[in-house]
Amino acid sequence: MNKTLQISFSLKNTYLVNGILYSLKQIPIVKKLLPEALYKERGLKIFANVLSVLWEILSIFIGKLLYLLTMVYGMGLLYRQVPGSYLFMHILLFLTVIGAFSNTSLFNPSRDKYYAMILMRMNAREYTLVNYTYSIIKVILGFAPFTLWFGVKRGLPVWLCLAIPFSIAGLKLTVAAASLWDYERRGFVYNENSISKYLWLLMALLLGAAYGLPAAGIVLPHIVSAILMLSFIPAGAVSIRKIISFGYYREINRQMLSQMMNQMDTVIQNTRKASEKTISTDTSISSNRKGYEYLNELFIKRHHKILWKSTQKITLVCICLICGILLIMYLAPGINKKINELILTWLPYFVFIMYALNRGTGFTRALFMNCDHSLLTYSFYKQSKSVLKLFQIRLREIMKINAVPALIIGVGLALVLYASGGTDNPMNYVVIIVSILCMSLFFSVHYLTIYYLLQPYNAGTEMKSGTYQLVMSATYLVCYFMMKLHMQTLMFGMMTIVFCVLYSIAACILIYKLAPKTFKLRI
Amino acid sequence: MKFVIEHLTKHFEKKEVLHDINFTFEEGKIYGLLGRNGAGKTTLFNCLNRDIKKDSGRFYLELDGTLRESVPEDIGYVLSTPTVPEFLTGREFLKFFLEINERSVQSTKSIDEYFEYMKIAPDDRDKLLKDYSHGMKNKMQMLINIIAQPNILLLDEPLTSLDVVVAEEMKQLLRSLKRGRITIFSTHIMDLALDLCDEIVLLSHGELEEVEKSDLDSHAFKEKIIAALREDGYE
Repeated sequence: MNKTLQISFSLKNTYLVNGILYSLKQIPIVKKLLPEALYKERGLKIFANVLSVLWEILSIFIGKLLYLLTMVYGMGLLYRQVPGSYLFMHILLFLTVIGAFSNTSLFNPSRDKYYAMILMRMNAREYTLVNYTYSIIKVILGFAPFTLWFGVKRGLPVWLCLAIPFSIAGLKLTVAAASLWDYERRGFVYNENSISKYLWLLMALLLGAAYGLPAAGIVLPHIVSAILMLSFIPAGAVSIRKIISFGYYREINRQMLSQMMNQMDTVIQNTRKASEKTISTDTSISSNRKGYEYLNELFIKRHHKILWKSTQKITLVCICLICGILLIMYLAPGINKKINELILTWLPYFVFIMYALNRGTGFTRALFMNCDHSLLTYSFYKQSKSVLKLFQIRLREIMKINAVPALIIGVGLALVLYASGGTDNPMNYVVIIVSILCMSLFFSVHYLTIYYLLQPYNAGTEMKSGTYQLVMSATYLVCYFMMKLHMQTLMFGMMTIVFCVLYSIAACILIYKLAPKTFKLRI
Repeated sequence: MKFVIEHLTKHFEKKEVLHDINFTFEEGKIYGLLGRNGAGKTTLFNCLNRDIKKDSGRFYLELDGTLRESVPEDIGYVLSTPTVPEFLTGREFLKFFLEINERSVQSTKSIDEYFEYMKIAPDDRDKLLKDYSHGMKNKMQMLINIIAQPNILLLDEPLTSLDVVVAEEMKQLLRSLKRGRITIFSTHIMDLALDLCDEIVLLSHGELEEVEKSDLDSHAFKEKIIAALREDGYE
């Protein structure tokens, strides 16, 4: 037993440590500093080991603290009309039942189980029991300090607070034993990651009971919740016998982990299949153009669904929203002044909206998955005149795709501004329309440029560039913080236009200088 | 025509994969490139095809006594897993390719004649390439590389996963194409190399060396190759 615990710990630790080292290796600058024989470097290993042990300790406590703090105690503060101690026990009771099904540890097909029982052929029964015992001890230890803290705060007696962790563990044991019994009876292996719709429904009902009933003023008297909770302890104690005597741990784990084995092999294949599915099989599609225009037209037509269809939907939604706003303004003229003010100061908000609406990522992804990843293996396609010619064509296409909703939003905003009382400076109308178009231009250029300059995928269509991911995250953050910026529309609009035009020019110069060298498959 | 590699080196971080490669390939021959797993065959091809940067060295073509650096158009590269643009039909891909290369490729055949030449059935010619079988994708990839008439044809394990009929067709095709160009063919399968190739070249210790057949019979020749590769030590 002791040996099994030791082995499973060191196994889990090893892959955690290697995982940490691997992610360090993905960070652009850090990776240059790291030695090549990363995984045998003692110092680094010790560092990662310390992280991994810290993580294990934190994982015992942090999750439970956050859970009790937000889901039970924090949510409980929102209800004013029911007594706090009642509410604490009420919510905790229902959530405990949900947790007993959704967080079993025994029926979680995790990677360490796969490594230990399938790849390393460890004894399934021993491995499962040892690890399950450990996980139950973690539940009790992890909950104890916080049930005590929050429970006493909510006016519960200390002995009850100390009993609650055992109740939670007790119900988990009971549900586990029942599932094992269910397997013996009808051969069904419970898997907490793919539960049936009835169980989902039950959980939704329980969630409704936890938070919905108190809102309606109904809570279980805390004596009732306490008795129910305490009854889980003897139930759990009885269940331990079943769990120890169960004889088919090898079988249930094989079955549960078999899905995982398949998943591991086919992640890449699945992405490939998914992207191939986006290709239209309509045989009437053809093109009368020549050369690169021919290639491009066929690409656009066969990817109509993911390129133009979604743009059309977005445009339609924008039209409806604008009409809705105009209607509300007509029905309730009182808000006109407020809306007028908003439009004249809230243009920065639209940077984020345009960011969210732009189709750049989908477009470049489809370009790579279904077109470039194969054509880039042919030498004719890598010649600089080909790369640049196609860049031009593609830039034109993505600009068209993004410009439609941008135009609608720009014109719509100008209309709303006019209808809400207008402005003294007619330049505002022009600036709104042009700046929103410029934003869409910016995102089109931006995504296509970083795709051409950083080409992040390898021939197996895996994402290989940390820099690319960094640029993407930075883009998101900048757009996000634009929402916090409040500036006069005229001022911000002018700045946007100037920035977008300059950026686009700079990007195109960079492309012409660098893309023929950078636009290739990663090895 | 000769293709000359001089002092080519390439390392990844501290591991030197190609260590001062010097070799001259001659027109009209198929070279079988043998090497153990991880010996650097694909790295060598990627360097020659300029997919990755070499550390040092150069390679050039010698045409009628004049030297010039090899350019991408000189090289056709057929990968072991065939890659074709999934959203095009076979016919569209071929049409696109011929239009793009109007000037450089003297196409003497019609599109259907090309398909006929590669034994791609009429029904399949207007199917999307994503629905092609592995062997058919391989034929398309080969066809495109052949039409471009490259001076050097690099083939990375091209026949390994084809069915016997297609593999035999491809072998015939390669034999018929070897005139006027240099074909370098990497493989793990010794019998295939001996059957198809005119010269056997080993990549070991990061260097290329030709194995002289001299007057050995095929069994003794095999033994010699294995012995030479075995010296490469652990992988």
